[in-house]
Amino acid sequence: MKVLELKNVHKVYNTTQVEVHAVNSVTLDFDQGEFAAIVGPSGSGKTTLLNMIGGLDKPSQGQILVNGTDLTRLKSSELIDFRLYNIGFVFQSYNLIPVLTAKENVEFIMNLQKWPREKRDRRTRELLEAVGLADRMNSRPAQMSGGQQQRVAVARALASKPKFILADEPTANLDTRSTENLLDIMETLNKNENMTFIFATHDPRVMKKAHRVITLEDGKVIEDRKKQ
Amino acid sequence: MITKTAWKNVWRNKVRSFVVIASVAVGIFAGTFSVAVMEGAIAQRLDDALNHEVAHIQITHAGFRANNDLTCLLEDAGEMAEKIRSLEEVEAVSYRLVVTGMANTASKSSGIIINGIDAEREKQVLGLDKILKKGSGSYLEKEASGNRAYIGEDLAKNLNIIRFTLTDAIVDSLMAKGVPAETAEKLQPLAGSRFRNEKSFRKKMESVFTREEQKKYGPLISEISRSFRKNARLALTFVDYHNYHTGGMFRINGLYDLTNNMFESTQVFVHYDDLARLTGIPPGQGHLIMVRLIDVDQTEPVTSQLKELFPGTEVMNWKQIQPDLAMMEGMARMMYGFFMVIILAALAFGIVNTMLMVVLERTKELGMLAAIGMNKKRVFRMILTESVFLSGVGGVFGMIISKIVISLTARQGINLSGYKEGFEAMGFTSHIYPHIGNDFFILVTILIILTGILAAIYPALKALKLDPADALRTE
Ligand SMILES: Nc1ncnc2c1ncn2[C@@H]1O[C@H](COP(=O)(O)OP(=O)(O)O)[C@@H](O)[C@H]1O
Ligand SMILES: [Mg+2]
Repeated sequence: MKVLELKNVHKVYNTTQVEVHAVNSVTLDFDQGEFAAIVGPSGSGKTTLLNMIGGLDKPSQGQILVNGTDLTRLKSSELIDFRLYNIGFVFQSYNLIPVLTAKENVEFIMNLQKWPREKRDRRTRELLEAVGLADRMNSRPAQMSGGQQQRVAVARALASKPKFILADEPTANLDTRSTENLLDIMETLNKNENMTFIFATHDPRVMKKAHRVITLEDGKVIEDRKKQ
Repeated sequence: MITKTAWKNVWRNKVRSFVVIASVAVGIFAGTFSVAVMEGAIAQRLDDALNHEVAHIQITHAGFRANNDLTCLLEDAGEMAEKIRSLEEVEAVSYRLVVTGMANTASKSSGIIINGIDAEREKQVLGLDKILKKGSGSYLEKEASGNRAYIGEDLAKNLNIIRFTLTDAIVDSLMAKGVPAETAEKLQPLAGSRFRNEKSFRKKMESVFTREEQKKYGPLISEISRSFRKNARLALTFVDYHNYHTGGMFRINGLYDLTNNMFESTQVFVHYDDLARLTGIPPGQGHLIMVRLIDVDQTEPVTSQLKELFPGTEVMNWKQIQPDLAMMEGMARMMYGFFMVIILAALAFGIVNTMLMVVLERTKELGMLAAIGMNKKRVFRMILTESVFLSGVGGVFGMIISKIVISLTARQGINLSGYKEGFEAMGFTSHIYPHIGNDFFILVTILIILTGILAAIYPALKALKLDPADALRTE
């Protein structure tokens, strides 16, 4: 069973002067538990594609099926709930809530999903341990390094066991050590929780770790390579 | 969670939040304190009117008020009073003779209303003995012989019965009362002078003092210098029952002091028996029956009850006699609410501005929240909650400060004696005891919450319009 299928997806931005064909006729599918990277130069359409997969943006044409549900048919209020229950996001600039502690940030989505307290606490602890930040539970984002913040963001994304994780340039602001550390953690979580990860990146360190590399150029898939 | 996040968000920009909170606190304090001062003045005015001037219900002959005719008498006033006294809602009843006339001294005369009263009964109905000006003699007691009158301090001033005398002893005593030596010394050359009225006294003061000195010490000096000639004589003239001009010499037994100048300078109280004898009105009759109730809220039902009981008479309660007071009492609450609404509306603009900045600054964060699945209802609620916290914290501080300042000032009262005449001309005291009921704080709390909500609606709608994908791309 495919978790995600893209069928002939196009995205055209109509700016004032020119039409930008940001994503052009993309057809792809992903299995449960993949660890895939969408790569390509800046402006090649990675973010646009990821946003459409995540239900943040609507394709101009084509279908996006998540577990058989066509995202393009959902209303925007339905899309918000779809994102809440199905997708975990990791952003380039971490985007934690600055006034909340690491623990509260991780809990946030579980709270939105109204998890009971006990279950929430257990999952938060488990995840913060998995990302190696059990001792920083009560730290605020500003008190943590970029690598630590991004690990909290990964924990937050995974918290409510979504169908898959979308990470847009998650390592762009990190040094090598933090990057390796983060990638190891994500790989372990991918294995242990059988969680699907899809990255948009032009970071060779990520490409090296990825099990599948999809290359975009001018919005088109020019290569889709699975490693053994 | 949303509430907790909103609360923490309030403290993100401490300086900006503090400015908003402080402005709400100051606004609420200013409004609440002003209302408390107004309320204190109104309460004092009502208290004076009900307890010392008009009582709760009055009964007259049907033609008395319209014609002001001495012959419009309630012939069985005594029996009526007895009957009313037996009602359970009634605390005390008295009846009076009311005659218009003139009061004359050697140098002045003044139009007055002479009330012939039963001194003992009137104590219970209007507490006339309680408004005696200290050191001016006594209320109308039975023992004194001859015609006795109890008049207002203002009338005494108008008739030049109050004089102003500067003796050496008075000048010396000023320094003991905190007047600086250099100010007191300016009075030294005037020691021994007497002034016939306040106006000439004040003129003299103004000529020796600077304006500041006059403002600061003038009231104190005139208070100390005033001397009242005990047992001063007063000729009262009026027409009698048979329409003949008549009158009598009265000795002033004492002065009363109310905040209502109008009342003070016209209402003269004498013994019922003296006025009955001089006008030739037989005992047991009266022009006016005054009724005091145990509970002022029973005014309306008892008024109708008395109307039924005494057909053909005119029964009026304080609300009808003094419609301005009734209106003031009725409208005060509305006015206060309106006043606070205006203040809060002004503060709301500050909150709107702050919340707009909040939304603008947090564009990316709001985009992220929408991306991870926080729906519009929750985003809206979070922003509204933050705004309500902002106004609420300010409001709580404002109310605490108000409560403290009101209870501190209520102890001593606020003395605005510099504006005494203006206040008293309107019947208000210049010594105000601020007062505010707890229900006002409930009203203010509701208004503050409402302000917080209303001020956040526009910024919150702006936040909802954000497209998460665009918002996330912003730096
Ligand atoms: N909101 C938008 N409006 C117009 N053009 C856009 C918008 N978002 C992206 N684009 C354009 O779409 C193309 C793909 O951008 P993007 O998906 O961000 O690429 P990448 O993430 O690979 O750098 C670029 O040419 C970019 O300028
Ligand atoms: Mg990008």
